[in-house]
Amino acid sequence: MSSEIFCCDSYRFKVEAMKLFNINGTSLSLALYTDVTNSKELLESMQAGTLEPEVAFLNALLVPDIFPILAAAHKTLVAKSRDSLTTRTLHSELVYNYSGSKHITESLKRCGISDSTTYILAARFDATPDEIKAIEKLISGNEIDLEELGGRANQSQIQKHYKISASELGVSSIADAITCRIASRDAL
Amino acid sequence: MATETDSRDSSLILLKQGAEARVFDSSFVGRRCVVKERFSKKYRHPTLDSKLTLRRLNAEARCVTKARKLGVCTPVLYAVDPMLHTLTFEYVEGPSVKDVFLEFGSRGVDKEYMDNIASQIGDAIGKLHDGGLVHGDLTTSNMLLRNGTNQLVLIDFGLSFTSTLPEDKAVDLYVLERAILSMHSLCGNVMDQILAAYRKSSKQWSSTLNKLAQVRQRGRKRTMIG
Repeated sequence: MSSEIFCCDSYRFKVEAMKLFNINGTSLSLALYTDVTNSKELLESMQAGTLEPEVAFLNALLVPDIFPILAAAHKTLVAKSRDSLTTRTLHSELVYNYSGSKHITESLKRCGISDSTTYILAARFDATPDEIKAIEKLISGNEIDLEELGGRANQSQIQKHYKISASELGVSSIADAITCRIASRDAL
Repeated sequence: MATETDSRDSSLILLKQGAEARVFDSSFVGRRCVVKERFSKKYRHPTLDSKLTLRRLNAEARCVTKARKLGVCTPVLYAVDPMLHTLTFEYVEGPSVKDVFLEFGSRGVDKEYMDNIASQIGDAIGKLHDGGLVHGDLTTSNMLLRNGTNQLVLIDFGLSFTSTLPEDKAVDLYVLERAILSMHSLCGNVMDQILAAYRKSSKQWSSTLNKLAQVRQRGRKRTMIG
Protein backbone atom coordinates (compact mmCIF):
# COMPACT_ATOMS: atom_id res chain seq x y z
CA MET A 1 0.00 0.00 0.00
CA SER A 2 1.53 3.23 -1.05
CA SER A 3 0.74 6.34 0.91
CA GLU A 4 1.54 8.63 -2.00
CA ILE A 5 -1.10 10.46 -3.94
CA PHE A 6 -1.14 9.08 -7.40
CA CYS A 7 -3.07 9.70 -10.52
CA CYS A 8 -3.74 6.34 -12.07
CA ASP A 9 -2.22 6.50 -15.54
CA SER A 10 -4.74 4.22 -17.17
CA TYR A 11 -7.42 6.74 -16.31
CA ARG A 12 -5.39 9.78 -17.12
CA PHE A 13 -5.23 9.07 -20.81
CA LYS A 14 -8.97 9.03 -21.23
CA VAL A 15 -10.21 12.53 -21.84
CA GLU A 16 -13.17 12.55 -19.54
CA ALA A 17 -12.40 10.48 -16.48
CA MET A 18 -12.18 10.92 -12.77
CA LYS A 19 -8.81 11.26 -11.12
CA LEU A 20 -7.83 8.82 -8.42
CA PHE A 21 -6.20 9.63 -5.10
CA ASN A 22 -5.03 7.12 -2.56
CA ILE A 23 -5.86 7.59 1.09
CA ASN A 24 -4.28 4.79 3.11
CA GLY A 25 -5.34 2.15 0.66
CA THR A 26 -8.80 3.49 -0.11
CA SER A 27 -9.16 5.39 -3.35
CA LEU A 28 -10.99 8.65 -3.81
CA SER A 29 -12.08 9.51 -7.34
CA LEU A 30 -12.59 13.17 -8.15
CA ALA A 31 -13.98 15.01 -11.14
CA LEU A 32 -14.69 18.69 -11.68
CA TYR A 33 -17.59 20.00 -13.76
CA THR A 34 -18.61 23.44 -14.99
CA ASP A 35 -21.89 24.54 -16.56
CA VAL A 36 -23.85 21.78 -14.85
CA THR A 37 -27.49 22.01 -15.87
CA ASN A 38 -29.12 19.24 -13.83
CA SER A 39 -28.09 20.08 -10.27
CA LYS A 40 -31.74 20.21 -9.27
CA GLU A 41 -32.27 16.58 -10.28
CA LEU A 42 -28.98 15.53 -8.71
CA LEU A 43 -29.99 17.15 -5.45
CA GLU A 44 -33.44 15.59 -5.50
CA SER A 45 -32.24 12.07 -6.17
CA MET A 46 -29.54 12.48 -3.55
CA GLN A 47 -32.04 13.62 -0.94
CA ALA A 48 -34.38 10.78 -1.88
CA GLY A 49 -31.47 8.39 -1.46
CA THR A 50 -31.88 7.03 -4.97
CA LEU A 51 -28.63 8.36 -6.39
CA GLU A 52 -26.88 5.40 -7.97
CA PRO A 53 -23.97 5.11 -7.39
CA GLU A 54 -23.73 7.19 -4.23
CA VAL A 55 -21.58 10.28 -4.87
CA ALA A 56 -20.54 13.36 -2.93
CA PHE A 57 -21.23 16.65 -4.72
CA LEU A 58 -19.31 19.64 -3.44
CA ASN A 59 -19.73 23.31 -4.16
CA ALA A 60 -16.43 23.70 -5.99
CA LEU A 61 -16.36 27.46 -5.45
CA LEU A 62 -15.26 26.65 -1.90
CA VAL A 63 -12.48 24.30 -3.02
CA PRO A 64 -9.21 26.08 -3.87
CA ASP A 65 -7.10 22.91 -3.82
CA ILE A 66 -7.33 19.12 -3.59
CA PHE A 67 -5.41 18.79 -0.33
CA PRO A 68 -8.17 19.92 2.08
CA ILE A 69 -10.53 17.50 0.29
CA LEU A 70 -8.06 14.69 0.93
CA ALA A 71 -7.76 15.71 4.59
CA ALA A 72 -11.55 15.65 4.91
CA ALA A 73 -11.64 12.29 3.12
CA HIS A 74 -9.01 10.92 5.51
CA LYS A 75 -11.10 12.05 8.45
CA THR A 76 -14.19 10.49 6.89
CA LEU A 77 -12.48 7.12 6.42
CA VAL A 78 -11.19 7.09 9.99
CA ALA A 79 -14.72 7.76 11.26
CA LYS A 80 -16.08 5.05 8.96
CA SER A 81 -13.56 2.48 10.22
CA ARG A 82 -14.77 3.19 13.75
CA ASP A 83 -18.44 3.17 12.84
CA SER A 84 -18.74 6.71 14.07
CA LEU A 85 -20.11 8.58 11.07
CA THR A 86 -22.04 11.67 12.10
CA THR A 87 -24.19 11.86 8.98
CA ARG A 88 -26.19 9.16 7.24
CA THR A 89 -23.83 8.15 4.46
CA LEU A 90 -20.11 7.99 3.80
CA HIS A 91 -20.37 10.55 1.04
CA SER A 92 -22.44 13.09 2.93
CA GLU A 93 -19.89 12.73 5.71
CA LEU A 94 -17.21 13.92 3.27
CA VAL A 95 -19.17 17.09 2.54
CA TYR A 96 -19.86 17.61 6.23
CA ASN A 97 -16.21 17.14 7.13
CA TYR A 98 -15.07 19.48 4.39
CA SER A 99 -17.22 22.26 5.82
CA GLY A 100 -15.16 22.52 9.00
CA SER A 101 -18.35 23.26 10.90
CA LYS A 102 -20.42 21.19 13.30
CA HIS A 103 -23.75 22.30 11.90
CA ILE A 104 -24.79 19.45 9.62
CA THR A 105 -27.69 21.04 7.72
CA GLU A 106 -25.79 24.26 7.16
CA SER A 107 -22.66 22.35 6.09
CA LEU A 108 -24.51 20.33 3.49
CA LYS A 109 -26.25 23.45 2.20
CA ARG A 110 -23.12 25.54 1.85
CA CYS A 111 -20.50 22.96 0.89
CA GLY A 112 -22.88 20.70 -0.98
CA ILE A 113 -24.93 21.70 -4.00
CA SER A 114 -28.16 23.61 -4.38
CA ASP A 115 -30.77 23.77 -7.18
CA SER A 116 -28.81 26.42 -9.00
CA THR A 117 -25.23 25.18 -8.58
CA THR A 118 -23.39 24.96 -11.89
CA TYR A 119 -19.83 24.35 -10.73
CA ILE A 120 -19.46 20.98 -8.99
CA LEU A 121 -16.72 18.73 -7.65
CA ALA A 122 -17.87 15.10 -7.61
CA ALA A 123 -16.21 12.56 -5.32
CA ARG A 124 -16.58 8.85 -4.72
CA PHE A 125 -14.68 6.42 -2.52
CA ASP A 126 -13.48 3.16 -4.09
CA ALA A 127 -15.26 3.71 -7.39
CA THR A 128 -15.16 0.87 -9.90
CA PRO A 129 -14.61 1.72 -13.60
CA ASP A 130 -18.31 1.06 -14.19
CA GLU A 131 -19.31 3.41 -11.41
CA ILE A 132 -17.05 6.10 -12.82
CA LYS A 133 -18.82 5.80 -16.14
CA ALA A 134 -22.16 5.96 -14.38
CA ILE A 135 -21.16 9.09 -12.48
CA GLU A 136 -20.09 10.78 -15.70
CA LYS A 137 -23.47 9.99 -17.22
CA LEU A 138 -25.23 11.32 -14.15
CA ILE A 139 -23.86 14.85 -14.43
CA SER A 140 -24.72 17.01 -17.43
CA GLY A 141 -21.90 19.50 -17.64
CA ASN A 142 -18.35 20.00 -18.92
CA GLU A 143 -15.65 18.08 -17.17
CA ILE A 144 -12.53 20.17 -16.65
CA ASP A 145 -9.10 19.53 -15.18
CA LEU A 146 -8.71 19.58 -11.38
CA GLU A 147 -5.85 22.03 -11.89
CA GLU A 148 -8.47 24.69 -12.50
CA LEU A 149 -9.74 24.60 -8.91
CA GLY A 150 -7.31 27.27 -7.73
CA GLY A 151 -8.24 29.82 -10.37
CA ARG A 152 -11.97 29.30 -10.12
CA ALA A 153 -12.38 29.28 -6.33
CA ASN A 154 -14.26 32.15 -4.74
CA GLN A 155 -11.72 33.55 -2.29
CA SER A 156 -14.04 35.94 -0.46
CA GLN A 157 -16.74 33.29 -0.07
CA ILE A 158 -14.14 30.88 1.33
CA GLN A 159 -12.81 33.48 3.76
CA LYS A 160 -16.33 34.22 4.93
CA HIS A 161 -17.39 30.61 5.33
CA TYR A 162 -14.25 29.48 7.16
CA LYS A 163 -13.75 32.80 8.96
CA ILE A 164 -10.21 33.25 7.67
CA SER A 165 -8.72 36.62 8.60
CA ALA A 166 -6.25 38.62 6.54
CA SER A 167 -3.60 38.15 9.23
CA GLU A 168 -3.87 34.39 8.89
CA LEU A 169 -3.46 34.59 5.12
CA GLY A 170 -0.23 36.47 5.78
CA VAL A 171 1.34 33.26 7.09
CA SER A 172 -0.73 30.59 5.38
CA SER A 173 -2.21 29.60 2.05
CA ILE A 174 -5.98 29.53 1.91
CA ALA A 175 -5.91 25.75 1.39
CA ASP A 176 -3.80 25.22 4.51
CA ALA A 177 -6.14 27.46 6.51
CA ILE A 178 -9.07 25.28 5.44
CA THR A 179 -7.13 22.10 6.29
CA CYS A 180 -6.47 23.38 9.81
CA ARG A 181 -10.18 24.02 10.33
CA ILE A 182 -11.15 20.59 9.06
CA ALA A 183 -8.62 18.96 11.37
CA SER A 184 -9.37 20.98 14.49
CA ARG A 185 -13.17 21.13 14.25
CA ASP A 186 -13.85 18.45 16.85
CA ALA A 187 -11.25 19.85 19.23
CA LEU A 188 -12.98 23.21 19.47
CA MET B 1 -7.06 -2.91 17.30
CA ALA B 2 -7.85 -2.85 13.62
CA THR B 3 -8.30 0.91 13.51
CA GLU B 4 -4.74 1.38 14.71
CA THR B 5 -3.31 0.67 11.28
CA ASP B 6 -6.29 1.85 9.26
CA SER B 7 -6.20 5.45 10.30
CA ARG B 8 -2.50 5.99 9.82
CA ASP B 9 -0.10 5.93 6.96
CA SER B 10 2.10 2.90 6.90
CA SER B 11 5.53 4.07 8.03
CA LEU B 12 6.33 5.78 11.28
CA ILE B 13 9.86 6.76 12.21
CA LEU B 14 10.52 7.95 15.74
CA LEU B 15 12.05 11.44 15.74
CA LYS B 16 11.90 12.49 19.38
CA GLN B 17 10.66 11.13 22.63
CA GLY B 18 9.72 13.44 25.46
CA ALA B 19 8.04 13.13 28.82
CA GLU B 20 4.55 13.76 27.46
CA ALA B 21 4.67 12.61 23.88
CA ARG B 22 6.51 10.84 21.08
CA VAL B 23 7.05 12.51 17.73
CA PHE B 24 7.17 10.50 14.51
CA ASP B 25 8.04 11.23 10.91
CA SER B 26 5.35 9.89 8.59
CA SER B 27 3.20 10.83 5.64
CA PHE B 28 -0.35 12.09 5.33
CA VAL B 29 -2.24 11.73 2.05
CA GLY B 30 0.93 12.29 0.07
CA ARG B 31 2.64 14.93 2.16
CA ARG B 32 5.43 14.40 4.66
CA CYS B 33 4.13 14.92 8.17
CA VAL B 34 4.94 14.80 11.86
CA VAL B 35 2.76 12.72 14.15
CA LYS B 36 2.74 13.72 17.81
CA GLU B 37 1.40 11.01 20.06
CA ARG B 38 0.57 11.67 23.68
CA PHE B 39 1.02 8.39 25.46
CA SER B 40 -0.76 7.28 28.57
CA LYS B 41 0.91 7.47 31.94
CA LYS B 42 0.64 4.13 33.65
CA TYR B 43 0.95 5.66 37.10
CA ARG B 44 -2.27 7.62 36.69
CA HIS B 45 -5.74 6.30 37.21
CA PRO B 46 -6.93 5.12 33.76
CA THR B 47 -10.05 7.33 33.71
CA LEU B 48 -8.17 10.41 34.82
CA ASP B 49 -5.35 9.59 32.42
CA SER B 50 -7.53 9.41 29.33
CA LYS B 51 -9.39 12.57 30.32
CA LEU B 52 -6.17 14.53 30.82
CA THR B 53 -4.60 13.21 27.64
CA LEU B 54 -7.64 14.07 25.59
CA ARG B 55 -8.05 17.50 27.10
CA ARG B 56 -4.41 18.37 26.41
CA LEU B 57 -4.62 17.01 22.90
CA ASN B 58 -7.61 19.22 22.12
CA ALA B 59 -6.07 22.21 23.88
CA GLU B 60 -2.96 21.93 21.75
CA ALA B 61 -5.00 21.71 18.55
CA ARG B 62 -6.97 24.79 19.59
CA CYS B 63 -3.89 26.81 20.47
CA VAL B 64 -2.12 25.97 17.20
CA THR B 65 -5.17 27.10 15.24
CA LYS B 66 -5.50 30.23 17.33
CA ALA B 67 -1.86 31.14 16.79
CA ARG B 68 -2.34 30.89 13.03
CA LYS B 69 -5.40 33.10 13.23
CA LEU B 70 -3.28 35.69 15.01
CA GLY B 71 -0.82 35.64 12.11
CA VAL B 72 1.90 33.57 13.76
CA CYS B 73 3.28 30.80 11.61
CA THR B 74 2.88 27.29 13.00
CA PRO B 75 2.92 23.94 11.23
CA VAL B 76 -0.36 23.23 9.40
CA LEU B 77 -2.54 20.89 11.44
CA TYR B 78 -3.56 17.95 9.23
CA ALA B 79 -5.53 15.75 11.61
CA VAL B 80 -6.52 15.20 15.22
CA ASP B 81 -7.22 11.66 16.38
CA PRO B 82 -8.89 11.49 19.80
CA MET B 83 -8.79 7.68 19.82
CA LEU B 84 -5.07 7.29 19.19
CA HIS B 85 -4.23 10.55 21.01
CA THR B 86 -2.35 11.89 18.03
CA LEU B 87 -1.95 15.20 16.26
CA THR B 88 -0.70 15.19 12.68
CA PHE B 89 1.20 18.25 11.49
CA GLU B 90 2.94 19.51 8.40
CA TYR B 91 6.64 18.54 8.37
CA VAL B 92 8.57 21.81 8.41
CA GLU B 93 11.91 21.52 6.63
CA GLY B 94 14.57 23.62 8.29
CA PRO B 95 16.82 23.96 11.33
CA SER B 96 15.73 24.98 14.81
CA VAL B 97 16.70 28.42 16.09
CA LYS B 98 18.69 26.55 18.74
CA ASP B 99 20.88 24.89 16.10
CA VAL B 100 21.38 28.16 14.26
CA PHE B 101 22.33 30.02 17.45
CA LEU B 102 24.67 27.25 18.56
CA GLU B 103 26.40 27.53 15.23
CA PHE B 104 26.66 31.30 15.69
CA GLY B 105 28.27 30.51 19.05
CA SER B 106 30.89 28.24 17.56
CA ARG B 107 31.53 29.87 14.18
CA GLY B 108 30.76 33.50 14.83
CA VAL B 109 27.56 35.48 14.53
CA ASP B 110 26.00 36.40 11.19
CA LYS B 111 24.78 39.80 12.34
CA GLU B 112 22.15 40.36 9.68
CA TYR B 113 20.65 36.88 10.02
CA MET B 114 20.69 37.19 13.80
CA ASP B 115 18.81 40.51 13.67
CA ASN B 116 16.25 38.98 11.36
CA ILE B 117 15.66 35.97 13.62
CA ALA B 118 15.45 38.05 16.80
CA SER B 119 12.95 40.47 15.29
CA GLN B 120 10.82 37.62 13.97
CA ILE B 121 10.79 36.03 17.44
CA GLY B 122 9.81 39.26 19.20
CA ASP B 123 7.18 40.01 16.61
CA ALA B 124 5.62 36.54 16.84
CA ILE B 125 5.47 36.55 20.65
CA GLY B 126 3.96 40.05 20.59
CA LYS B 127 1.20 38.86 18.25
CA LEU B 128 0.47 35.81 20.40
CA HIS B 129 0.34 37.83 23.61
CA ASP B 130 -1.86 40.57 22.17
CA GLY B 131 -4.24 37.87 21.01
CA GLY B 132 -4.36 36.49 24.55
CA LEU B 133 -2.33 33.36 23.85
CA VAL B 134 0.62 32.34 26.03
CA HIS B 135 2.95 29.77 24.47
CA GLY B 136 4.10 28.32 27.79
CA ASP B 137 7.31 26.70 26.53
CA LEU B 138 9.26 29.29 24.60
CA THR B 139 12.71 27.87 23.99
CA THR B 140 14.93 28.12 20.96
CA SER B 141 14.34 24.44 20.19
CA ASN B 142 10.62 25.13 19.82
CA MET B 143 11.30 27.59 17.01
CA LEU B 144 12.11 26.49 13.50
CA LEU B 145 13.35 28.43 10.49
CA ARG B 146 11.77 27.28 7.26
CA ASN B 147 14.32 26.43 4.57
CA GLY B 148 14.38 28.89 1.71
CA THR B 149 12.42 31.70 3.34
CA ASN B 150 13.89 31.62 6.88
CA GLN B 151 10.37 32.20 8.12
CA LEU B 152 10.03 31.60 11.85
CA VAL B 153 7.70 28.71 12.72
CA LEU B 154 6.64 28.18 16.32
CA ILE B 155 6.03 24.60 17.40
CA ASP B 156 4.90 22.65 20.46
CA PHE B 157 1.83 24.38 21.85
CA GLY B 158 1.46 21.53 24.34
CA LEU B 159 1.78 23.89 27.31
CA SER B 160 -0.07 26.81 25.77
CA PHE B 161 -3.10 28.48 27.29
CA THR B 162 -5.15 31.59 26.83
CA SER B 163 -4.55 34.45 29.22
CA THR B 164 -4.52 38.20 29.15
CA LEU B 165 -2.65 38.60 32.45
CA PRO B 166 0.65 40.51 32.23
CA GLU B 167 1.98 38.02 34.78
CA ASP B 168 1.53 35.03 32.42
CA LYS B 169 3.00 36.89 29.48
CA ALA B 170 5.97 38.07 31.54
CA VAL B 171 6.68 34.52 32.71
CA ASP B 172 6.48 33.39 29.07
CA LEU B 173 9.19 35.91 28.17
CA TYR B 174 11.19 35.07 31.29
CA VAL B 175 11.32 31.38 30.38
CA LEU B 176 12.70 32.35 26.98
CA GLU B 177 15.21 34.72 28.57
CA ARG B 178 16.53 32.02 30.87
CA ALA B 179 16.70 29.52 28.03
CA ILE B 180 18.64 31.92 25.83
CA LEU B 181 20.94 32.98 28.65
CA SER B 182 21.91 29.43 29.45
CA MET B 183 22.11 28.06 25.89
CA HIS B 184 23.31 30.98 23.84
CA SER B 185 25.50 33.19 26.00
CA LEU B 186 28.01 33.41 23.14
CA CYS B 187 25.49 35.12 20.87
CA GLY B 188 25.50 38.46 22.64
CA ASN B 189 22.33 40.06 23.93
CA VAL B 190 19.77 38.41 21.69
CA MET B 191 17.12 38.87 24.33
CA ASP B 192 17.40 42.66 24.15
CA GLN B 193 16.81 42.49 20.41
CA ILE B 194 13.85 40.19 20.91
CA LEU B 195 12.33 42.49 23.51
CA ALA B 196 12.85 45.51 21.24
CA ALA B 197 10.88 43.73 18.51
CA TYR B 198 8.29 42.67 21.08
CA ARG B 199 7.73 46.31 22.02
CA LYS B 200 7.06 47.22 18.44
CA SER B 201 4.71 44.31 17.92
CA SER B 202 2.72 44.27 21.16
CA LYS B 203 0.42 47.13 22.07
CA GLN B 204 0.44 46.02 25.69
CA TRP B 205 4.22 45.85 25.92
CA SER B 206 4.59 48.22 28.81
CA SER B 207 2.61 46.32 31.44
CA THR B 208 4.21 43.03 30.34
CA LEU B 209 7.75 44.38 30.48
CA ASN B 210 7.13 45.99 33.87
CA LYS B 211 5.97 42.65 35.11
CA LEU B 212 8.99 40.99 33.52
CA ALA B 213 11.25 43.16 35.69
CA GLN B 214 9.42 41.87 38.77
CA VAL B 215 9.55 38.27 37.59
CA ARG B 216 13.32 38.57 37.08
CA GLN B 217 13.65 39.49 40.76
CA ARG B 218 11.78 36.50 42.04
CA GLY B 219 11.95 33.80 39.35
CA ARG B 220 9.25 31.97 37.49
CA LYS B 221 7.26 30.82 40.50
CA ARG B 222 5.27 33.26 42.50
CA THR B 223 5.97 33.33 46.21
CA MET B 224 2.91 32.12 48.00
CA ILE B 225 3.00 33.51 51.49
CA GLY B 226 -0.08 34.13 53.57
